[in-house]
Amino acid sequence: MSDGVKTPLVRLAKRDEMKSSMVWAIRIGSILFAFLLGTIPILMAGENPFVSYGIIINGALGKPGYIRQTVKRAIPLLGCALAIAPCFKMRFWNIGAEGQITMGAIFASFVAITWGKLLPSPLLLLLMAAFGIVGGAVWALVPGFFKAKYNTNETLFTLMMNYIAIGIARWLQGGPWEGRPGTQLIPMFPEAARLPNVFGVYCGWIIVLVMVVLVHIYMNFTKHGYEVAVIGDSINTARYAGMNVGWVMMRTMLFSGAISGMVGFLLVSGANGTLNSDVAGGVGFTAITVAWLGQLNSFAMIAIAAMLAIIGKGSATLQTRLSVPASVADIVSGTLLFCMLGCEFFINYKLIFRTRKEVQA
Amino acid sequence: MRKLTAISMALLLAASAVFANGGQEKAPAKAETAAKKATKIGFVVINDESDQGYTWNFMNGMNAAIDKLKADGYNVELLVKRNTTESAICKDNNLELAEDGCEVIFNNSYGFEPFMLEAAREYPDVKFIGMTNCGSQSDGNPNTYNAFASIYEGRYVAGVAAGMKLNQLIAEGKITESQAVVGYVGAYSFAEVVSGMTSYFLGIRSVCPSATMKVYFVGTWGDATLEEAAAKSLIDAGCVMISQHSDTTSPALAAQKAGVFHTGYNTDMTKAAPQASLLSCRINWEPYFYTFIKNYIDGVENPSDYTGTMAEGAVTVTDLNTAIAAPGTAEKLAQVENDLKNGKLQVFDTSTFTVKGEKLTHAFALDTNGDFTPDKEEAVYDGAFHESKFQSAPYFAIQIDGIEWLNAAY
Repeated sequence: MSDGVKTPLVRLAKRDEMKSSMVWAIRIGSILFAFLLGTIPILMAGENPFVSYGIIINGALGKPGYIRQTVKRAIPLLGCALAIAPCFKMRFWNIGAEGQITMGAIFASFVAITWGKLLPSPLLLLLMAAFGIVGGAVWALVPGFFKAKYNTNETLFTLMMNYIAIGIARWLQGGPWEGRPGTQLIPMFPEAARLPNVFGVYCGWIIVLVMVVLVHIYMNFTKHGYEVAVIGDSINTARYAGMNVGWVMMRTMLFSGAISGMVGFLLVSGANGTLNSDVAGGVGFTAITVAWLGQLNSFAMIAIAAMLAIIGKGSATLQTRLSVPASVADIVSGTLLFCMLGCEFFINYKLIFRTRKEVQA
Repeated sequence: MRKLTAISMALLLAASAVFANGGQEKAPAKAETAAKKATKIGFVVINDESDQGYTWNFMNGMNAAIDKLKADGYNVELLVKRNTTESAICKDNNLELAEDGCEVIFNNSYGFEPFMLEAAREYPDVKFIGMTNCGSQSDGNPNTYNAFASIYEGRYVAGVAAGMKLNQLIAEGKITESQAVVGYVGAYSFAEVVSGMTSYFLGIRSVCPSATMKVYFVGTWGDATLEEAAAKSLIDAGCVMISQHSDTTSPALAAQKAGVFHTGYNTDMTKAAPQASLLSCRINWEPYFYTFIKNYIDGVENPSDYTGTMAEGAVTVTDLNTAIAAPGTAEKLAQVENDLKNGKLQVFDTSTFTVKGEKLTHAFALDTNGDFTPDKEEAVYDGAFHESKFQSAPYFAIQIDGIEWLNAAY
């Protein structure tokens, strides 16, 4: 070792390809570690962590009714993760799904409010879905266009678009679409504008599962999907190969926004039965975690979305049964997400500790 | 490598033991409650107790009612869903409580009602109560109820205390008669708020005839910054007394800072602003919760709409801040409260106010066709507008002379 240059105590090095059994061992280990960490806030709240975790699982899956609600939570998470995945594959940081969902919801609501009592249900629902898709797609296209044309920062742009969409929804809620003056509530949609239930949950779950397959095919077996992957690896390579990078970006954003808009439609027509400014409710952000943890693989995202929904629903029950503050449940689920995302780091990199040999040398 | 795998497997095993344990520990506890057959009461609330105002007040009432029921030998158990939003979450929370065996489920926010009604259709044997709203009583389902309280009585009493303070300031020469201007921070310009501010103003004018009032609507139920800004602008416009129909204590603090006086809502604000806040009016929900649950268990049918009154202790004012109140206020308040309770005094007595210079002779109470304009049930008779008579939710939405609207917010 040369003089003057100290070897740091810990160094990072890129790992070679790991065996998949090892990779999964690390992932499962990180989840267990997260549960271990999660016991700390539960103990601080004066509760038994074992009982608490039992309640979380029971509260999410213990009764048919609980399972239905858990599925209801998973639907938008999965749908929105599907929307985000192509953008992230392209290394286009679309964090505007929240706004795209809201915009889709607004467009779909427009149909329900304007023609809800005039059209037969199937036609109305199709029209709502179509409007929702257009709403989300247009909202996503705007930052996509500016990125392609002027290379604007898409992270900031999509983020800002969220607040505008939510603001519009809030204005509609307290203004033109408000029911009884002063209530800040849009009346419930007529029955014709509500998605039917299948097995006790609105049929959105079937729609997102179909979308899983479609997105998987789009990403893996089409020219479009291939272009997205190439751009994600290297924009220059894509250019060299003669791809119109700007156009692909806009097209992918359009696709992504369309799916988010669809999710917005599912939320107003299936889950809520009306529009409010909180319609996306953070789904657009949580879905980023779902997409990443699922390694942008559509099928893996089903499992991740289900897991987050279980934790979300279970935490809500924990809060009721043990009357622990909501924040404790939030800390537990936050810890879990953090550990799961963090473990990907250890899968890609290894820590090298300074050995005695190196110091002596 | 292998070692790591082994460790993680061991951890996995340990974890499964943990979950198995968690499941087991729960089971006997459940069997125990089933044996005792407690009647489960559900409560879906917005925010939680930490808001120190709206939900805090509701929870105090509920806890007191549950304690009282237990003391009377009723076996009841309370399940609370906190931090509920006015969205599908509200429906889910109602469904979950019903699924968990709750037989009576209360909802404490106006905006919960449409979602609650959807859950109510799926559980026709469970009683659902939409508090502070008015759709459940008329939705055709026998298992849905409404409840509110005649808070206008409490506002009137608070107004009398404020009016006496104004009189004292006039007598001491600190303000002239025409400077007796009151500022009101309202949430939204609809019936609930208009009814409250009008009754407050009539309370003031019953003792201080020269008083006038300015109202500013903030367009939200609770936003400390906006409420404070509204209070400040009212004080700048010459108001020497501030009151509010909004959730935070910031108007009280603004009043104290500017050296003017204040009366509050929902919660005692004299601790937040000891030099400004005279007293607050509030709804005491305990009698309603107690009676409803007791009736239910005893098999007595509850009214589909219920108005708690001052006479039965559902509407009260908090302890008077005697350090700053005008002399003789306590005695006067006691007398006014008494007159309200025995019906000698009508808050909306049509001989005490005018609308565009004319006496009010006609106003409908209820909106039956959904256009949000009242069209049924004459509310004006026997020399008074009868508030909360035809439904518990307030319906007095008339602009009377002497109250100046600085803006409107729907």
